[in-house]
Amino acid sequence: MKIKINPTILGFIKKEFSQALRDPRMRMMLFAAPIMQMTLFGIALTSDVKNVRLSFQPRPNDTVLEHVVEHALASKWFISAHTTRMDPFEQVQSDEADVVIVPPPEGLTESIGRGQGRVQILVNASNVIKAQSVEAYIRSILDQVVANDFQRGITAPPIHFDMRILFNPSMETPVFMVPGVMSTLICLITILLTSMSISKEKETGTFEMLVSAPVKIWEIMLGKTLPYVMLGMSNIPLILAVAVFAFGVPMRGNLIILFIAAFFFICTTVAVGTLISVVTKTQQQSMMGGFLFLFPAIQLSGMMFPIENMPLGMKVLAYLNPITYFLEMLRNIMLKGGDSHVILSHLAVLALMAVILTTISYKKFHTTLS
Amino acid sequence: MSEPITVKVNHLTVQFGDFKAVNDVSFEVPAGQIFGFLGANGAGKTTTIRVLCGLLLPSQGEVKVAGISYHDPDGERRIKSKVGYMSQKFTLYNDLTVEENLLFTASLRKIPRPEFEKRKKELFDFISFHRDPKTMVKDLPGGMKQQVSLAASLLHDPDIVFLDEPTAGVTSAARARFWDLIRDLAKRGKTIFVTSHYMDEVEQCHRIALMRSGELIALDTPEGLKRTTFPNPLYELKPHQSISFSEVEAIRAEGSFEPYGLRYHVSATTPNLWQEFVKKYGKDFETKAISPTLEDVFIRLVEGKNR
Amino acid sequence: MKIARARAVARKEVFHILRDPFTLALALLLPLMMVTIFGIAIEFNVQNIKIAVYDGDRTQASRKLIDALGSSRYFLIDRAATQYSAIERVDAERDRAALIIDPKFEYDLLSGRGAEAQLILDGSDNSTVGSIISYFGTMQNLASEKITGEMQRPEVDLVTRFLYNPELNSKWFVVPGLMVVVLAILSILLTSLTVAREWENGSMELLLSTPAEPIEIIIGKLFPYVVLGLGAIAFVYAIARLGFGVPFLGNHLVFLLGSGLFLATYLAQGLLISVAARTQQLSMQIAMMSGFLPSMLLSGFIFPIESMPPFFRILTMLLPARWFMSISRDVFLKGSDLNDLKIPFIALACICSLMVTIAVRRFKRDVEP
Repeated sequence: MKIKINPTILGFIKKEFSQALRDPRMRMMLFAAPIMQMTLFGIALTSDVKNVRLSFQPRPNDTVLEHVVEHALASKWFISAHTTRMDPFEQVQSDEADVVIVPPPEGLTESIGRGQGRVQILVNASNVIKAQSVEAYIRSILDQVVANDFQRGITAPPIHFDMRILFNPSMETPVFMVPGVMSTLICLITILLTSMSISKEKETGTFEMLVSAPVKIWEIMLGKTLPYVMLGMSNIPLILAVAVFAFGVPMRGNLIILFIAAFFFICTTVAVGTLISVVTKTQQQSMMGGFLFLFPAIQLSGMMFPIENMPLGMKVLAYLNPITYFLEMLRNIMLKGGDSHVILSHLAVLALMAVILTTISYKKFHTTLS
Repeated sequence: MSEPITVKVNHLTVQFGDFKAVNDVSFEVPAGQIFGFLGANGAGKTTTIRVLCGLLLPSQGEVKVAGISYHDPDGERRIKSKVGYMSQKFTLYNDLTVEENLLFTASLRKIPRPEFEKRKKELFDFISFHRDPKTMVKDLPGGMKQQVSLAASLLHDPDIVFLDEPTAGVTSAARARFWDLIRDLAKRGKTIFVTSHYMDEVEQCHRIALMRSGELIALDTPEGLKRTTFPNPLYELKPHQSISFSEVEAIRAEGSFEPYGLRYHVSATTPNLWQEFVKKYGKDFETKAISPTLEDVFIRLVEGKNR
Repeated sequence: MKIARARAVARKEVFHILRDPFTLALALLLPLMMVTIFGIAIEFNVQNIKIAVYDGDRTQASRKLIDALGSSRYFLIDRAATQYSAIERVDAERDRAALIIDPKFEYDLLSGRGAEAQLILDGSDNSTVGSIISYFGTMQNLASEKITGEMQRPEVDLVTRFLYNPELNSKWFVVPGLMVVVLAILSILLTSLTVAREWENGSMELLLSTPAEPIEIIIGKLFPYVVLGLGAIAFVYAIARLGFGVPFLGNHLVFLLGSGLFLATYLAQGLLISVAARTQQLSMQIAMMSGFLPSMLLSGFIFPIESMPPFFRILTMLLPARWFMSISRDVFLKGSDLNDLKIPFIALACICSLMVTIAVRRFKRDVEP
C-alpha cells in the first residue's frame, strides 16, 4: 500500500533540509556542536565544591591546628592557598584565599584542653552555595580531628538519621546535570531555527511567492515545522549516546518511551518557535523573541534552581514551561525507569501546550498580504 | 474576433486604513493579450496585481480572474491555481539550485513528478537554459535569474501570468530576449500582465493601463494613447544660445511645453496658436516635427498634471 | 583613520536601531526583566520541602521530632498512614523525602542506645538533595536537644564569619552574576545578527564600496551597541541596588572600566561571528553555542570554576564572561579595587584586544575584493 504523502509538505521538507544542511558550518552547528557542548558541560559542570583555597593563621606548637590543616588538605575539598599577606581579612579580600582559619591566640590545642575550645573561620561568602559547603566541611573535619587527638569518642547524637538516597546513590553530578543540558540544547536548536526560518522567508520576499500558490495554511505551517522536528529528533540519539556512554548516566527506562517524550517536547518547542515567527517580521526579531522565551525557560525549568523555593508567581511560570515537564520526564525515564502516570500526565500537558500554541499560530497566519 | 475575457475588474478599491491604494478601477482583458501597467511608483500597480493574483482582498468591487471571483467558495485558492506570479522582489531561493527551486515550486502546486519533468524540459527549452540545473541561483547572471523566475511562474501552465517589473536591473540584450518570450506566450493564448518602467518595453504591449494615485487615468493601445494625448502635431524644440533659461520658462507659462532633457516637446492646442508661436519665438529654437512616444504620453498624463 | 567617517557609520547604525523599536525594547528591557525575575525567583536556601512522615512510634519523643522538623521553615510535613505510602510518595515525586520513624524510637532514645530514624531522599533532583542532607545534619542536634532536653555541646565552638555576604543572601550572589550573563548574551546576539543581516541583504558591500576603511566601519558599527550595552548595565545596576539592596562597596569607575572592556570584547566576538558566518541563521547558532551556553554555564555564575577539572579551568580563562564575573561580584560585594582585580582586568584587556584584532583582520581579509 502506497501511502500518499502531501507533495507540498514533502517539497518543503526537501527544501528546508537542502537549505539548512548545504552549508557545512551549519551542519557542524546542528550535529557536532551539540555533542561537543554536551561533553563539555557534562564534564565541567558540577555543583560540588572542590579546590577551596585554605589559609590559616599559624600558632606555635598548635598540633590540633596542624592536624586540621593536614586533614583538610588531604581531602579533595581543600588546597593550600598561596598567600603574600598576613592579615586574614586581606587574604580573603585580595582573593588569595577562600577561607582562613583563625584560631584563638593561645592556640587550638590549648583552648580545647581548657574546655574553652573556640575557632573562627573567615569565609568568602560571595558564592552562597560554596560558603555553606565550606562551613560544613570544616565542621566535620574539626569534629574528626578533635575526636582523634583527644581520644574522646565523638559523642554520637542520640538521634541518628540513616539516609538512603534513591535513584542516584552516589550523587554524581553528571547524572543531575546531563538531562538538563540535553533539554536545553534541544529546545535551543528547535525554537531558534524554526522561528528564524519563517521570518527569513518574510524578510527575503520569498514568502510572497509561497502564498501566491494555492497552498493551505496548515500545509505551510507543517512544511516549515516538520523539518525542524525531524532535525531535533535526529539530535536525540547523539546526545543520548554521549550521556550514557561518556557520562555513565543510567538509562533505566524504555528507549521508545524516551523518544516519544522527546517527540512531544520537540513538537511543543517547534510550536513556540512558530508562534514567535508568526508575530515577528524579521529574523532578528525572531531571534530576540526566541531568546525572550528561552532564557527564562531554562532558568525556571528546575535544571539549576529548585522550583519549590520560587515565589508563587514564578512557580506558575515554571509550570507553564515545557522544559520543566520534559526535564522531569527525562530524569524519570533515565533514572527511575519511567513511571507511567508521571509520563502520561506530562505528555498530556505538553500535547495541550502544543495544540494551543499551534492553534494561535494558525489563526494569526495569513495567506494574504493584507 | 472575440477572445474570452480572462480578467474582469469592476470598481475595484483597495483601502489600507484611510489610504486608498487603488480607487475605483475597472477594466477587462481578453485572452492572449499583453496588458501593460504604467505608472509612477506608489500609483497602485503592484497593489492591483496582488489583488488579481489572489494575494490581497479587495476592499470593494468585484474581481473575476479566469472566471473565478473572490466571493466564490474557495475563491482565493482557485484564483491562485490559475495564475502565475513573478513578484518584484525575488521569487527564487538564492541558496538553492535551479533544479531544487523548480522542484519546490512543483511541490507547492502539487504537480506530479512525470508532468514536472516534462514541463521542466519544455521550459528550459523555452528560456534556452542550457546550463547545469544544479547551478546555485545566486551564481546565475542577472538576466538568467529573471528567466528562471519566469519559468518557475509558468511551471503549472497557468492561463494568466502576472509579471511585476520582470526585467528590472537586466541588460538590454537580456530584456529583448525576455520580451521575445513574453510575445511567444501571448501567441499561445496566455494573458500576460506586465508592469514596467521601460518605455520601449511598454510599447510592445497590446494595451496599456496608466495609473496615477490609485486611479486609472488612461486605457488604450499604445497608438491610441499617443493619438488621444497628442491630437495635434508634436514638435521638438532645441533652444538656441540666444535665449536664456528664464526666458524660456516665461514662455512655458503660456502653453503646454514639456521639458525633455535639454529640449522641449511642444504641442499647441490649435494650429493657429502654433503659427503664432513660431512667429514669435521661431528664431530662438531649432524646430523639428516628431511623432509622440509613450514617454511623452507618460510625462503629459502622469507627471504633467502635477505641475 | 577618520573619526568623521566612523561617526557617520555609527549614526546610520543608530537610526537602524531606533527604527526597530522591537529590538530596542528587547535589548533594554530583556536584561532588566531577567535580572528582576531571577533575582526574585532564585533562592538557594531551600524551604518548604515536602517531606512524607510516617510515625510508627507515636510517642512524645517522635512527636517532638516531627514538631522540630515542621516548625522550621525548611520542611512541610505530609503525614503518611503507612511506611509504604510514605516511600511511595517519594517515588511518585509528590514529596522529596520520607521520614520513617520505627516503633522503638523513644525506647531506644531513652535507653541511651541512640535511636535511629530512616530518611529516604529522592536523588534525581540535585537542586534539593544536598540541601536536605545538610539541613538534616543541623536538625540532628536541634531535635536531640528538644527531645532529651540535653544540650549537645560540641568540643569546639566553630564561629563562622561569612564575609561580604553575612546573611548568605542568594540575591547578592546571583544578581551581579546574572547581569554578566545577560549582557554577554545580548551583546553577542545583537552584533552578530545585525551585521550578518547586512551581509545577507547586500548593504555591507555598499558600505565597503565607500572610502570608509574597515576599521572605521567596525568602530562605527560597534559604538552604538557599546552605548546600548552600557545603558542596559546602568538599568540593571539600578535594579540590583534599589530593588534587591545588593551592596556596592567598590569604585564605580572600576566597574565602568570593566563593563566597557567586557562589552567591547563580546561585541567584537559578535562581529567576528557575523563576518565568518554571513547569514543570520548561522550567526545565531554560533552565537548560541559560543556565547550563550558558555557564559551561562562556564563563567562561574552558578557552577564554581574551581570545581571543574583542570582542563576546563584553563579553558574558562578564555571566556571574558568569567573574568567580568569575578570583577562584578568582587566590586559589588568585596569592594575590590583595580589592584585586587589586576589579574581579571589584565586578562580581560588581553582578550578584548585579541578579539578586536582578529575581528578587524578577518573583516579586512574577507572584504578585500
